[in-house]
Amino acid sequence: MPQSAEKVLDHAPLFREPEYRKMLAEKKRNFERPYPDRTVTDQREFTKTWHYREINLAREALVVNPAKACQPLGAVFAAAGFERTMSFVHGSQGCVAYYRSHLSRHFKEPSSAVSSSMTEDAAVFGGLKNMVDGLANTYKLYEPKMIAVSTTCMAEVIGDDLHGFIENAKDEGAVPHDFDVPFAHTPAFVGSHVDGYDSMVKGVLENFWKGEQRTVNPGSINIIPGFDGFCVGNNRELKRLLNLMGVSYTFIQDASDQFDTPSDGEFRMYDGGTKIEDVRAALNAEATVSLQQYNTRRTLEYCKAAGQSTVSFHYPLGVKATDEFLVKVSEISGREIPEAIRLERGRLVDAMADSQSWLHGKKYAIYGDPDFVYAVARFIMETGGEPTHCLATNGTPAWEAEMKKLLASSPLGNDAQVWASKDLWAMRSLLFTEPVDLLIGNSYGKYLERDTGTPLIRLMFPIFDRHHHHRFPLMGYQGGLRVLTTILDKIFDRLDRETMQVGVTDYSYDLTR
Amino acid sequence: MPSLSAKNQDFFNEPACERNRSKDFKVRKKGCSQPPMPGAAAGGCAFDGAKVALQPITNVAHLIHAPLACEGNSWDNRGTASSSHMLWRTSFTTDVTEFDVVMGHSERKLFKAIREINEAYAPAAVFVYATCVTALIGDDIDAVCRRAAEKFGLPVVPVNAPGFAGSKNLGNKLAGEALLDHVIGTVEPDDARSSDINILGEFNLSGEFWQVRPLLDKLGVRVRACIPGDSRYLDIATAHRARAAMMVCSTALINLARKMQERWDIPFFEGSFYGITDTSEALRQIAGLLVKQGAGPDLISRTEALIVEEEARAWRRLEVYRPRLQGKRVLLNTGGVKSWSVAHALMEIGLEIAGTSIKKSTDNDKERLKQMLTNDSMSGATTPRELYSALSDHKADIMLSGGRTQFIALKAKMPWLDINQERQHSYAGYHGVVELARQIDLSIHNPIWAQVREPAPWEMAPARGEEMSEEEALL
Repeated sequence: MPQSAEKVLDHAPLFREPEYRKMLAEKKRNFERPYPDRTVTDQREFTKTWHYREINLAREALVVNPAKACQPLGAVFAAAGFERTMSFVHGSQGCVAYYRSHLSRHFKEPSSAVSSSMTEDAAVFGGLKNMVDGLANTYKLYEPKMIAVSTTCMAEVIGDDLHGFIENAKDEGAVPHDFDVPFAHTPAFVGSHVDGYDSMVKGVLENFWKGEQRTVNPGSINIIPGFDGFCVGNNRELKRLLNLMGVSYTFIQDASDQFDTPSDGEFRMYDGGTKIEDVRAALNAEATVSLQQYNTRRTLEYCKAAGQSTVSFHYPLGVKATDEFLVKVSEISGREIPEAIRLERGRLVDAMADSQSWLHGKKYAIYGDPDFVYAVARFIMETGGEPTHCLATNGTPAWEAEMKKLLASSPLGNDAQVWASKDLWAMRSLLFTEPVDLLIGNSYGKYLERDTGTPLIRLMFPIFDRHHHHRFPLMGYQGGLRVLTTILDKIFDRLDRETMQVGVTDYSYDLTR
Repeated sequence: MPSLSAKNQDFFNEPACERNRSKDFKVRKKGCSQPPMPGAAAGGCAFDGAKVALQPITNVAHLIHAPLACEGNSWDNRGTASSSHMLWRTSFTTDVTEFDVVMGHSERKLFKAIREINEAYAPAAVFVYATCVTALIGDDIDAVCRRAAEKFGLPVVPVNAPGFAGSKNLGNKLAGEALLDHVIGTVEPDDARSSDINILGEFNLSGEFWQVRPLLDKLGVRVRACIPGDSRYLDIATAHRARAAMMVCSTALINLARKMQERWDIPFFEGSFYGITDTSEALRQIAGLLVKQGAGPDLISRTEALIVEEEARAWRRLEVYRPRLQGKRVLLNTGGVKSWSVAHALMEIGLEIAGTSIKKSTDNDKERLKQMLTNDSMSGATTPRELYSALSDHKADIMLSGGRTQFIALKAKMPWLDINQERQHSYAGYHGVVELARQIDLSIHNPIWAQVREPAPWEMAPARGEEMSEEEALL
């Protein structure tokens, strides 16, 4: 027997043992009534054709392998960026388990969120009682400073009124009257996690800003990062840059510490996050800057209505995008961009020049959240690469139009195609029919890598099967350097693998690349 | 082992549950599944449970009839191994939108989605899962499935376990009901043998069950269906012709075992493949049941011979770890069958149980624990904070749990090992217990714990060293 107590094999090598191959093959023969091998091969080949691509892209009712999550997930992530804030999701309780696992698996950190645990009774009679009990329990059990309430589909379908419910709960003494319970309606059948993020951040701002008088604090800036799986690295990098410039700023929603707590013997259910008094004071900022426009449309409108000037970016990644961000910040704050940052920029440009021959003309497929896809496509073109497929399952027609404009701005974008609201199974067809050199996305792309042989670079949330990537920035010049290095490593690793066969391909197995 | 005199009990009336024996009608009516407490961070929902229990059926397309949420957040998050098909890992959803909800288009969309799956993938069957939204707006998935099955000549199985129906565990059981109502017994096998068994409630995580199967192969016992681990639609459709069954995770699928006994006269026993004694006991029970059902009586002596051989080997191997693990205390934070079976396996190799959770455990599970553990080490639902304080008080040397509590252990400077679905090693069978010992040993003795527990050098006040107890200094 291949597996025995004498020598225990791990599952990966074990099942390649001949006995196991036989066992598994027999299982297939006896229980599957499998199609003949030929039919399977033919079908596999068929799915690589243009013909199948047309059928695949014409799908209407079925989504296969989506690249988006739902609104409440975004709301839970948003809430994690505020001081001692517990996420409270009003709905049935399975959803919350998903959000916690999802965030935990990506950040490798505990993730806290609770549910009002609605059941069938609540579906019929409404979830008020669950809200009252739930808020009381959360307040008692987890000692939060704020409870951020969002909804799942279920509460939305039966039409629970959060504002009224929360008032009722306060009247019944679930939490004190002056306790902060911001809320956001986040039905999952509308939009995606980026919209949920938007609603929750707006909900928090409204909670503190509504009816308050604004006294402008000239030159001060609010930064809203948007839903970002790399917030740990990115927010810290941006703070470093802003500190170097001496800007007076407040991050509104900053989950970088919450999702990166040290192992020092202390369990922090809450860590870091924007302080409540800072959120309150943020009303007085001269301007609010969003790092991701599609993530923050409603929040920005609200900031504008509150009297602030607003400006948004598409995930400042790469040379030009970082330039624009810093110049804008400098303009609003009146602070100069110091020499140290100029040198950093020069180093990134230098690195890109060093490696240009390896990157020029490479074709890419990119998928993920709208702002991310925009940013990556832009940076790729800066390196001489050609974005060929740009796909966002949560992309809108407006995003599509903006992407097309970006791609039209350079000859490198000539062959690019933009795919709003398509899924990863559509991407599979695209990669077979119009192959590219590299695929940029998240962990889910590993099936595309396997099926189509396109090397995958993981730069997008979620990353479950690699560790610690989120600890390094993608934004700013330093972030650009990291993205650049990651792409180059992928290219060189592959090249080495393809040229290492002794006496066959090793004429190109070179020491210097 | 207490026998389950469970015949003629209806689905919600699980005799293993105190609530069902309550005199109060209202309490009784709530059924066996524990209603979750609002405001607590508890586990999954009924949909989650149903999906978990059925998704390992590998050549079936699992279609989630829901807004994107249910699937978008959760696709492909289980590590159960499949011997050929990968269809089960592909995510299918109808992505119901506001427009569908308002206009009432979702039933039509579902039908169309089934057609699109059938055309592109030709699966053995399509399983359609109702979720909160589609159940609330009243989609009749039974009718749509029936119509689609007729139209496409394909089994289309409705799974009615929307999230709000109750807990994850209830969902497991509803999944079993779906199999009973629509799948099991729909195909007659032409190769039924007197030594065919079913394994129920085994998920084949990290290929765990495959590592036990060769033992059964050696005995000439054929696994007709392992439900759900690495199963095919056809395994399950013909499962009613097995002669006996072993129930592995009774918390998940006890209703399935019981009803298969009622309908097709398939006797079952509850067992575990964790630990040497339990593995041997399981093999004995299988052999005994099959012989009672007409298999050749020599099966029993052959089983005993195999047990002797395998046990000796495993005990010998464990000797290496015994001195390294003697007296180490384990905190077990898992659910159901594992709360006692893994505890038992650990005690067998000389570890102490500092605590074990009894969430999702049936009364039978708890009874087993009571017999094993003298100390007061069973706990119900644990909040992260409680868990953390148990760990940081050094009540244990290692925690075994699932992914969501992993990082709490690490923050408490406590070694940790995954015992749930994301585990990377197999712990079943005679070799599995050796692997478990090896992994615990590796984890406990990893040098990082010394690093983690020591303050930075500049934080070490001179007096601190003297104050340290011997035990602390060793850590």
